[in-house]
Amino acid sequence: MGKTKTMDPAAVQKKLQVLEPRLEELLRQAEAETDPKKKLNLGRQADRTRDKIRQAKTGERFSRQTKRDMVAYSFIAPNFIGFAVFTLGPVIFAFVLAFLRWDGNNAMEFAGLGNFALMFGNKRFLAALRNTVVYCIATVPFTLAAALALAVLLNQKIRGRNFFRTVSFFPYVASLVAVAAVWNMLFSPAKSGPINMLLYNLGVAAKSLPKWSADKDWVMFTVVLFSVWKNMGYYMVIYLAGLQGINGELYEACGLDGANTWQRFWYITLPQLRPTTFFVTIILTINCFKVYDIVYMLAGGNTGVLNESAIVLVYHIYEEAFRNWNLGYASACAMVLFLMVLAITLVQFRGEKKYAN
Amino acid sequence: MKIKNTKTRTLRVILYVVLIALALVMLVPFVWMLSASFKLDKDVFIFPIEWIPKNPRWQNYVDIWSRIPLLTFVLNTVKLTLIVTFLQLLTSSFAAYAFAKLDFKGKDLLFLAYIATIAVPWQVYMVPQFMMMRSMGLADTHLAIIFLQAFSAFGVFMMKQFYEGIPTELCEAARIDGMTEYQIWYRIMLPLSKPSLSTLTIFTFVNTWNDFLGPLIYLTTESKKTLQLGLRMFISQFGSEYGLIMAASVLSLIPVLIVFLSLQKYFVEGVAASGVKG
Amino acid sequence: MKKKRLASLLTAAAMVGSLAACGGGDSSSTATSPAGDGGATTAAETVAAAEGQTVMKWSIWDKDLTLYYQPLIEEFEKQNPDLKIEMVDLGSSDYQTVLGTQLTGSGSDFDIVTIKDVPGYTTLVNKGVLEPLDEFIANDGVDLGAYKGLTDQILVDGKLYELPFRSDFWVVYYNKDVFDAAGAAYPTNDMTFDEYDALARQLTVDTPGQEVYGAHYHTWRSAVQLFGILDGKNTILDGSYDFLKPYYEMVLAEQEDGVCQDYATLKTSNLHYSGAFSQGNVAMMNMGTWFLSTLAEKIKSGEYTDCANWGIVKYPHAQGVEPGSTLATITALSIPANAPHKEDAWKFVKFVCGEEGAEILASTGNIPALMTDDIAGMISAMEGFPEDEDSKEALQTANLYLEMPVSNKSSEIEIVLNEAHDNIMTGNSTIDEGIADMNEKVGAVLAQ
Repeated sequence: MGKTKTMDPAAVQKKLQVLEPRLEELLRQAEAETDPKKKLNLGRQADRTRDKIRQAKTGERFSRQTKRDMVAYSFIAPNFIGFAVFTLGPVIFAFVLAFLRWDGNNAMEFAGLGNFALMFGNKRFLAALRNTVVYCIATVPFTLAAALALAVLLNQKIRGRNFFRTVSFFPYVASLVAVAAVWNMLFSPAKSGPINMLLYNLGVAAKSLPKWSADKDWVMFTVVLFSVWKNMGYYMVIYLAGLQGINGELYEACGLDGANTWQRFWYITLPQLRPTTFFVTIILTINCFKVYDIVYMLAGGNTGVLNESAIVLVYHIYEEAFRNWNLGYASACAMVLFLMVLAITLVQFRGEKKYAN
Repeated sequence: MKIKNTKTRTLRVILYVVLIALALVMLVPFVWMLSASFKLDKDVFIFPIEWIPKNPRWQNYVDIWSRIPLLTFVLNTVKLTLIVTFLQLLTSSFAAYAFAKLDFKGKDLLFLAYIATIAVPWQVYMVPQFMMMRSMGLADTHLAIIFLQAFSAFGVFMMKQFYEGIPTELCEAARIDGMTEYQIWYRIMLPLSKPSLSTLTIFTFVNTWNDFLGPLIYLTTESKKTLQLGLRMFISQFGSEYGLIMAASVLSLIPVLIVFLSLQKYFVEGVAASGVKG
Repeated sequence: MKKKRLASLLTAAAMVGSLAACGGGDSSSTATSPAGDGGATTAAETVAAAEGQTVMKWSIWDKDLTLYYQPLIEEFEKQNPDLKIEMVDLGSSDYQTVLGTQLTGSGSDFDIVTIKDVPGYTTLVNKGVLEPLDEFIANDGVDLGAYKGLTDQILVDGKLYELPFRSDFWVVYYNKDVFDAAGAAYPTNDMTFDEYDALARQLTVDTPGQEVYGAHYHTWRSAVQLFGILDGKNTILDGSYDFLKPYYEMVLAEQEDGVCQDYATLKTSNLHYSGAFSQGNVAMMNMGTWFLSTLAEKIKSGEYTDCANWGIVKYPHAQGVEPGSTLATITALSIPANAPHKEDAWKFVKFVCGEEGAEILASTGNIPALMTDDIAGMISAMEGFPEDEDSKEALQTANLYLEMPVSNKSSEIEIVLNEAHDNIMTGNSTIDEGIADMNEKVGAVLAQ
């Protein structure tokens, strides 16, 4: 692990001859540049060049930046190696699969865009796409708002706080079979179901009572409602953790100005929670696009087959992958899902960066 | 002054009413589980719901231990959950530090790779992953489940977001003091991120504890199976023993609740703030 | 500084290393499994194989609830001392998914696999992971005639990839107490659908709180849809489903009039058919013979008290059709194409699906695929089986139609049929719309 290599003065001179004018040029450009973003960029380049000059003079093996990179990589490596081998690898393979025809056993055949063409002619896929998008649009904002409200509420100094926090987390951890069973009983399609009874007493005609998860027009509504209720405790926990990161002094400073609760929330809590909200929004969006088991449990019934009124993308993927063993086609569907999520995530990333600046 | 007091009191009352109503709604499934766990299978889904069974069947809580090797399953699950949670916490918080506080080549690309995999449903790469694991001799081993769960992108992403909330000035100051990056991570970031570490612990614990599909595909030997697979053993081709399923589910909830209750004490205001001052 | 950094790198490396070490304990057991199969799937558990013994893996589900696995294995091992059978329970609910995954690629080491249903069978055959059995059958001169034509219904391109050992068929279960209370005559082994419908209506009581349902249909499509194929004129793979209309009309009218429970409620409440029948307010329920042993056992154990007096009769039939035509579901054994010990595996398949296996199945109250008069006698002699002559006679079938016949599109068509059934029964579409939907979508699948 020698720190330096033998220096050849001529080579050093040669390097410096190139590097020094470049540094000057960069500094001059940076001076003249008015766009702050570009200026920053040029400054960074200048730093790097300066670093290289120093390296050439002292003869160190690695530049400072390289060293810094190495440290950073050492931080990432333990997780990344496992992640790359066991997740990233298979995921990349799955992407390749989208352009192949494969049943998992026989030889793969190249399909080109055949899987995608098949997909857009498949009614179940189109229904799944539509339902998933509808589900996401409805679920994400409500869950986000409910989770935030719950977290702020349960971050107050109130009696029985621990109890309320634990209870809110309950629907998320309780067995899905139990949770879905209870939900379906409350929203029983029978006239004697608790919710329908309520509606009936409110004057809804017996004939027009919704059949909830057995009703093609109401099933997605039922699923959305269920999903908000089941998952808000989960995101509440993330928000709770985020709330602990807010510096109490900020509130104190604000309190002196006579700000009311709402203003404190709006001007301090919310902006301070931005990284958390960013994280929650992305995870929530992704999870919503990947929704599968709750729909299956609520609307699948004994046969476990989802109708076009309730089918979602991941269920369609599952059905194609494991009932029909069209792995290529299933991958192609996943690709569509992936691209949608990616687009949304990138928009959010951009928004986050913009806001941060 | 008096008016304000009455107003606050009314608000308090409303707050508690809302909270209690909410708590009830949240508790219904648990009460149902509990009630079903004392019933015969034939009575579980009978409508209207009989909340307090006339003849509570304690036998269900005895039968679950003898009908399936529940103890083995619990021990397996505990082992897996502890290892996965530990590795997940360690590696994610380690990696997240680099993503949040260090500048390096390929940062955005690597991070995107992490996020991208979250967006791909497991059902799609499950088969290639299984074939790879099998070719490595990992099929039907606990190690497969550990590898599957321990290096999740979710943990890295979450920890990164929380680290970003910790002021960079703290790290800069530490660097000037001559701390290495590893020391900064260990001495500054870790103590400051207790709430988020707790969150990640809870989530990883719950996910591993409740994971079903992974063990289903990978673990075929009975002595290696987990609790969630055990629960499904009460679901047979021609009928399901819901009384037993619910009894076992109630029991399986206990560790999760213990973890949640013992960690939520870190969700108290000012942990990070006090760190900044100190 | 440098040293410290190195140290932390080493720590990181050691951590990864320790991971591998901690897994070593687990994977060491894999090393003992037969070599040459690229890592082996399931580590041999505790089947202590003696010197020179061949251990064969058999994939099954519901290990502890199925009474015939153990006796079958014991008898087989007694006859073949050099062979050992090891059961691998893949669970009932996701059996086909797990089996499909396990058989994928070349690393699997199963010798015998149980096939749960026809769509699962055809997907595995399509995947090319099953071994054709024709050669074995021809070499050993196995008489397929004993399977009463069932094996002809599961040929794929003229080849047979599975041999059935269990064949359940549908009958009508009825609660004698309900009939007695209403003063009505019990159903018979020779009912037309009109007679059946009239009987169900006669027994119905719609007083709130004391409802009695004349009939009960489980939410599976087979329970209603497949009444239509029993006259033998149509099959469920035809691509044209207009013949189903009268049967849906009958059941929907019954549902409307409270003769049977509402499908939507049953579906969302997950009420199991055994739960429904055991409440004692269901007069007749059509269900498969797999329910026989469960029902007898639960009555014996005292769990079911309100349906202790029961009987079975043959399925109702269309006008002018011989009684005894019913639906069948088979459970079969196959040998994977990659099985390490195919010859020995075949011995086991032949044993289980043959007469000796059939007797063991019958002795546990299950209907073997190989049904003779003696075997039918064994089942009706089972403890708890109804004593009346009609119930015994109900075990004699005339024509058996598979719930889902073999086609390489079985699993795709199954999805369409399930969906249409659900839409019709919930009222999300009318009968005509549902049938039109089936015609269109199955047509599209068949045209692919």
